[in-house]
Amino acid sequence: MFEEASEVFDNMFKSSFPLTFIVFIPAVLILVSPLPAEAAHEFTVYRMQQYDLQGQPYGTRNAILNTEARTVEAEDIVQQFMELEPEMLATETIVPVYFAMEDDELLSIYTQTLTSSSSQGSLSAAEVLLHTATANGFQMVTSGAQSKAVSDWAITSLEGRLAGVGGEDLPTIVVVAHYDSFGIAPWLSYGADSNGSGVSMLLELARLFSKLYTYKRTHAGYNLLFFVSGGGKFNYQGTKRWLEDNLDHTDSSLLQDNVAFVLCLDTLGNGDSLHLHVSKPPKEGSPQFSLLKELELVAASQYPEVKFSMVHKKINLADDMLAWEHERFGIRRLPAFTLSHLPSHRLAQRFSIMDVRSVSPSSRHGAGEPPAGPHVDVKKLSRNTKLVAEALARVIYNLTEKGAPGDLQIFTEQMQVQDEQQSAVVDWLTAQPRAAQLVDKDSSVVSTLEYHLGHYLKDVKRHYVKADKRDPEFVFYDQLKQTMNAYRVKPAIFDLLLAVCIAAYLGMMYLAIQNFGVFYSVVRRVTQPKTKAN
Amino acid sequence: MTLFHFGNCFALAYFPYFIAYKCSGLSEYNAFWRCVQAGATYLFVQLCKMLFLATFFPTWEGGAGVYDFVGEFMKATVDLADLLGLHLVMSRNAGKGEYKIMVAAMGWATAELVMSRCLPLWVGARGIEFDWKYIQMSFDSNISLIHYIGMAAVVWMFTRYDLPKTFRLPVTVLLALCVYKSFLMELFVHVFLLGSWTVLLVKAVLTGGISLCSLFLFVTLVHSN
Repeated sequence: MFEEASEVFDNMFKSSFPLTFIVFIPAVLILVSPLPAEAAHEFTVYRMQQYDLQGQPYGTRNAILNTEARTVEAEDIVQQFMELEPEMLATETIVPVYFAMEDDELLSIYTQTLTSSSSQGSLSAAEVLLHTATANGFQMVTSGAQSKAVSDWAITSLEGRLAGVGGEDLPTIVVVAHYDSFGIAPWLSYGADSNGSGVSMLLELARLFSKLYTYKRTHAGYNLLFFVSGGGKFNYQGTKRWLEDNLDHTDSSLLQDNVAFVLCLDTLGNGDSLHLHVSKPPKEGSPQFSLLKELELVAASQYPEVKFSMVHKKINLADDMLAWEHERFGIRRLPAFTLSHLPSHRLAQRFSIMDVRSVSPSSRHGAGEPPAGPHVDVKKLSRNTKLVAEALARVIYNLTEKGAPGDLQIFTEQMQVQDEQQSAVVDWLTAQPRAAQLVDKDSSVVSTLEYHLGHYLKDVKRHYVKADKRDPEFVFYDQLKQTMNAYRVKPAIFDLLLAVCIAAYLGMMYLAIQNFGVFYSVVRRVTQPKTKAN
Repeated sequence: MTLFHFGNCFALAYFPYFIAYKCSGLSEYNAFWRCVQAGATYLFVQLCKMLFLATFFPTWEGGAGVYDFVGEFMKATVDLADLLGLHLVMSRNAGKGEYKIMVAAMGWATAELVMSRCLPLWVGARGIEFDWKYIQMSFDSNISLIHYIGMAAVVWMFTRYDLPKTFRLPVTVLLALCVYKSFLMELFVHVFLLGSWTVLLVKAVLTGGISLCSLFLFVTLVHSN
């Protein structure tokens, strides 16, 4: 047959040359074309953090993945995961680590891989062989490029002020909260309690005091400066640069003259205790001391269920990361403290992806039970907001000296703390991931915050931080969200097995066709007697 | 799943054709070029059918789950053109009945293999993802070979002038079955919701039945003189 085929091709070549091109070019093109991807399951994956802070690398270094799937036995309790997160960050891995939301397809892939890898030890050799030959393996392939450093990333912070009444040299109170979130995977870090609650409280305080400051009778003699900082989870980069700009590079700034104190709000959306973290215990007679006393008084008389305490921790400059935001101010010799319901800055829930608004309805918890991980309880958040507002008002209006009792409530009726507004703010904040690598200056988070602040405050300004070119304080990397394909693959032995079966089948076919003549004569003999009988 | 799997599927699909060509003695008659011509006729007939379907049949706008019985039946009727094509090929070849049938069927089936199965196999079987459908496609091509041989035999018998009266009816019935076989298969799948391997089995049984009947009729016809 090949001689005839070659004859035909010869004729084709000799007769019409262009025709052969038309025949062969498509064939060649098809042969060299790349393979289209057709996967068993395609899903979005989120990469683990990758950043450099002060020269120290953290997180996974790679983004490209193309390996077989294997399973690992693990117990997944929320607390264990939260404790695992910082350990994972500290380990340097060559293989990239990805997180994905669970769905039915992924679950079935997981169970299939689990059964194929766990049955190695328990069955006989023949069964294991058969199992290996026919099992369904999965190949996980990502579709992105290698990760590289993002250049010129600007971390945005916002400030706004309420000017006090009367005179030039008024004391300033600064209220600070960082709006970014942190977790093992940037795209999955929603930061509900840390620090969505802080931002919500700051906005509510801005609203309440701007209302008070509109009326002449309640316009106080304190300047109020509100600062929503970015890059908070990366050692408070926003605050650091803002302080440098205001104290070193400007001639006159509210921060230079007369700062009463700086109140940083960090993680206040839950819990029944409040801790005021300081780096130096406040001296008697200072405005700091009066805020401390007012907080104690309001907590004791109006909210007895809240346990208030002061926590003293010296600033340790030898540490990699500063503990709380007030330490940035403390380094620049401004009196500052941080208010938080957490007793320690090292707690895992400040840096966890488990910190979400609420757990999804498909979780194992019942509808009435609270979620297992850190989350925001709006009632407690409003209670804390009211507590802070009352204490601040007592300091600003000097109420204790004027003889007002401890249980006098200022923020009631029209001046009430609005739960729905706070809840809405937290809902909006947790609707998108707010990792510092994802919020650039055009982000909707920043512009919405700016708009919101502009409602209540004057002189709302943006402040940008870019890493220094030669000695960068922080370096962010891209390729944080990818599409991964899971391909169903069979092991190589399976191909061989199939080849053997096909060879056997073809052998049988060959014999059948060779002996077709026998079959033919049988049929002939069967049909013959009809005619012979006639 | 790699080139090896593609090789497996291709061997499974193509070797029976090769074996049939060799063992039926066609190579002694220099029938290669005639088979290629039969293949060209297949292409031409498919082109005409596609043009006809595109021009005269409206697109089905019903729901996704409802099966358009009448529409599909009409479309299957257009497959009568296949019969005409086979007849055309056979009438142009001089020779014994068996020679004509084999040449027409081999050429036709090989053209169908190349056109409708080689490309999916090349593109799909070489990928990372493994799917049983490629092996099933190759089996299906084997079944098609037998189907076309049976169909060619029935067409040849239909056009014989010395066909006895008693044979007219069975031959016509077989002819109709051949044309509407794909329609019947889709009907089965929709009504009984069969799995893919079961469909293959049913197809094999149906084709086997049609071919056996046509073989019986053929033998009786040829050897009754």
